[in-house]
Amino acid sequence: MPSVAVEPAAAFTVPVPRGRGRQDWRSALFVAPYLLVFVAMLVVPLAMGMWLSTTKGDLFGTERWVGLANFVRLFGDAIFLKAVANTFYFVLLTVPFLTLAGLGLALVLNRQERWAAVLRTIFFASTVLSVTVVTLVWRLVFLPDGGLLGVTAEALGKTPIAFLNDERLAMPAIAVTTIWWCIGLPMVLFLAALQQVPRDLYEAAALDNASRWTTLTRITLPAIKRTFFLVIIIEVILQFQLFGQPQLMTLGGPNNSTRPIVLFIYEAGWRQWELGYAAAAAQVLFAMILIAAMVQYRLSSGKEAA
Amino acid sequence: MRWGWLLPLAALLAGCSDAKPDKTRLVIQRFFGACEAEYGRVTDIAAAEGECGIMTAMINRFEAENPDIDVVENIVFWPGYDQLTAQLAANDAPDLVTMHGSVISDYQARGLLEPLDADLTAIGAPPASFTSAARAAVTVDGHAWGLPIDTWAPLWHINMNLFRKAGLVRGGKPVLPRSPQELFAQAQQFRARTGKPYLVQGTANEYAGFTRNFYTFVMQQDAAPFEGGRANFRTAAGRNALQLFRTIYERDFTTKNQDYSAAVAGFLKGDGGVFLVGTWMVGTFDAESRKTSGALANGGYTVVPYPKLFARETTFADGHNWVMPRNNRRTPEERAAGVRFLKFFAGHARHWARTGHLPAFQAIIDSPEWRALPHRDNLATLATTAQPLPKDVRRQFPIETIVGTEAAAAISGAKPIDQTLSDMERRVNAVLDNL
Amino acid sequence: MTRSRLATGLVILAAVLMLVPLLWVLALSLKDNAELMTDTASVFNGRFTLENYRNLFGNGDVFRWIANSLIVSFGMTAGVLMLASLAGYGFARLEFPGRNLLFVVVLLGLAVPEQAVIIARHQMFSWLGMHNSYPALILPGLSAPFGVFLMTQYFRAIPRDIDEAALLDGASRFTIFWKLLLPLTIPAQATLGIFTFLSAWNDYWWPLISATNKDMFTLTVGIASTQMNFAQTEGLGFLMAQAVFAGAPMLIVYLFFQKYIVQAVAGAAGR
Repeated sequence: MPSVAVEPAAAFTVPVPRGRGRQDWRSALFVAPYLLVFVAMLVVPLAMGMWLSTTKGDLFGTERWVGLANFVRLFGDAIFLKAVANTFYFVLLTVPFLTLAGLGLALVLNRQERWAAVLRTIFFASTVLSVTVVTLVWRLVFLPDGGLLGVTAEALGKTPIAFLNDERLAMPAIAVTTIWWCIGLPMVLFLAALQQVPRDLYEAAALDNASRWTTLTRITLPAIKRTFFLVIIIEVILQFQLFGQPQLMTLGGPNNSTRPIVLFIYEAGWRQWELGYAAAAAQVLFAMILIAAMVQYRLSSGKEAA
Repeated sequence: MRWGWLLPLAALLAGCSDAKPDKTRLVIQRFFGACEAEYGRVTDIAAAEGECGIMTAMINRFEAENPDIDVVENIVFWPGYDQLTAQLAANDAPDLVTMHGSVISDYQARGLLEPLDADLTAIGAPPASFTSAARAAVTVDGHAWGLPIDTWAPLWHINMNLFRKAGLVRGGKPVLPRSPQELFAQAQQFRARTGKPYLVQGTANEYAGFTRNFYTFVMQQDAAPFEGGRANFRTAAGRNALQLFRTIYERDFTTKNQDYSAAVAGFLKGDGGVFLVGTWMVGTFDAESRKTSGALANGGYTVVPYPKLFARETTFADGHNWVMPRNNRRTPEERAAGVRFLKFFAGHARHWARTGHLPAFQAIIDSPEWRALPHRDNLATLATTAQPLPKDVRRQFPIETIVGTEAAAAISGAKPIDQTLSDMERRVNAVLDNL
Repeated sequence: MTRSRLATGLVILAAVLMLVPLLWVLALSLKDNAELMTDTASVFNGRFTLENYRNLFGNGDVFRWIANSLIVSFGMTAGVLMLASLAGYGFARLEFPGRNLLFVVVLLGLAVPEQAVIIARHQMFSWLGMHNSYPALILPGLSAPFGVFLMTQYFRAIPRDIDEAALLDGASRFTIFWKLLLPLTIPAQATLGIFTFLSAWNDYWWPLISATNKDMFTLTVGIASTQMNFAQTEGLGFLMAQAVFAGAPMLIVYLFFQKYIVQAVAGAAGR
């Protein structure tokens, strides 16, 4: 390939290694641009946030260093502990369903036909709406007095249920809203993965007269295992950061049953101007996501090794 | 570069925001929404309608009358405080900002607002000319920190057609309760004769209304919800205020499960007799009562302040104000341009009164023009009876949500009243103690 | 066969459930606001108007906000695809000192919630005096580790013999990356592109506090700013018209990227 030498990227050219495993610092140039942004935009602010979590102050200045006092206060704060519980509950309500339903949709809609393309677009369409609109529409759905479900219930001669005003039903209602809004992304991720499964595997299976079920469990699922865990990790991370839906639908109520951690952080930092306290809560959230993601990652790499 | 075409576009866009060199830039940041499609070119303030329309027309007019000032109108999503806080932290605050009276002391206490006493006097709008409610809203530590735009308070919006049917109209005026017992009796009568609840309230996923009612009826009992900058809710007055609405809820004297929008639609459809909502709806409902069909048709609407159910005639109130945030980079010319806008606004304040909000200037309230506006005669007393929370209570915004959510739990019966009051007080004081 | 029919039937049923709220949004956007205020069920009486869309375009700022959103979203998408592909290839295929440790650190970055860094980021851009600029809106999004994670996964899934054969032919690392492997990752690029464009387009928090100057508003922030306090009551139709309008470019982008996914599949099938 004679054109290689004149390419501006010639700086990236490395000598042909004599085999795998040869280390070369110049290879790091591929990852350097990203790492630069990563450090500047993520690592440094995170470190600053950790420092802020040990101070008392607002956005206009730090008042004093308070050590771990913010964390001590957090773990004695019933509202925060409730927010932690609410967050876990919400993740459990949404992540398994989003993953499995996204996989199911992708399996059914992974075809070339026109109707499949139309359905894919429908399932993705809700994802393009902003949280403001999604929550407004679903408030109109859930509203007992004149809402979609309320009108339907009355037409059937039943008493409408006040979903968002009921302590036990408000979080499931928010979960339904979220699933409607977010189902498009796992579906797209699974579709992309399915399309990477080599065709010849299926051809071989067809020659062996393998049943659809066998093809699914022996070929398809093992081939997209990485994506399966990827989707779970992504969804765990996204849903742990639940914020807009309860902020706009319930304000964390009724009786604090729908306040997640990020809403707590927002209220502490931007409404009550307690920056240090908010930063401490953010670190706790970080630790929680980290543990959840690491458990997932361990599980996935463990299974891969097996 | 596949994205190279973006660069000239970006340069083009950056180019059109260049400031006009011979003009003073005045950045006005406000809520009340955008209505450029309808009012973008309107400079005749008298022809504009509604908060957004009147505000837009006023700013257009000011720009037309002051060719040496380049007004940059930065409209922000209600209430815009997150943005303002971010701007102040970046030392890039606008020259004038709309701010609720209940929020002023938060920014004032951190030295983020400019005192405006001398300017207000110089432009002929000294604090002495404000109503007592408006003056209280902008005054902290003896200084005025803003020009009040208006005062608003929750009101009793009455469906007179239903009141007549319920036998609650005497001499063309609505019969109003003078005690909780009278309220229950009248609500009972209303229910018996019309088959409908007495009150319409937007209570689903809305908590501000609960807070306003709680503050109002605590204050009506000559008690203070806050004392010395701390919450004081575990009182007989606090209990009575919650019990009042608990009973109303229990005995089905109110609509339930309506959110704000549903409650507005419900009142317009005749769902109940009295709608508890603020001054901003007066114009809408009045227009509806001039039609010949609908639940409020043929003059079937009036509005009054909250009736006196306990010892004292008073209503919790808040209001909108213009404030000038600190900005080290603001030139004296820019500051002067801001003060000129305040002068212009004060001079045209009578137009703002058409929004339904209570005027901030006593002279306007006393003027025949204002009295001639629909229902304003009923509302004039608010100038003296409307009462904001004391200025030593900071963080009133988040406190409103805490009080409202807790009160909602007690009123719906999810939590006993005494426990609610102590939870409410503990949570509010946790906020105030950590300032 | 019956089981497959059942699955298809279920999916179609689910699609109808998905569609109902969407059609409702569309219908509300075509209704007169005053009529909606008294009764949201008036959607069914068949009287529709384009008034809300006229009002939307009557606000001259809207076009500037769209341009801003397009610049930010395309800029962020291009940047993420570039950085993530390079880094993904580097982590998946190359050996350099500290590689595994660095990769683990990047993975840990996945767990960082936006709220844990947003205030410090705001302070950093304040010190640099960079708020109200395109770099301020784009740069933070480039640091998201999701893209690197995704691309590393995909590069690892590509059989090694492809690049080893090329190495023996004397091709450079960059040539292998650019000419051989990158085309194979198009489905992943499309997925990452959709994901990045989507999060950039709908991002609200960072633009709200960084782009505080009207000329720099993105569409989400700009549209929110035009709403009155009680927009849901007084301007429901207008609000929905804004939603349709803001969502439409996203759908177009999705359809565009989807075509690429399908083309890539068609190519793979013909191989």
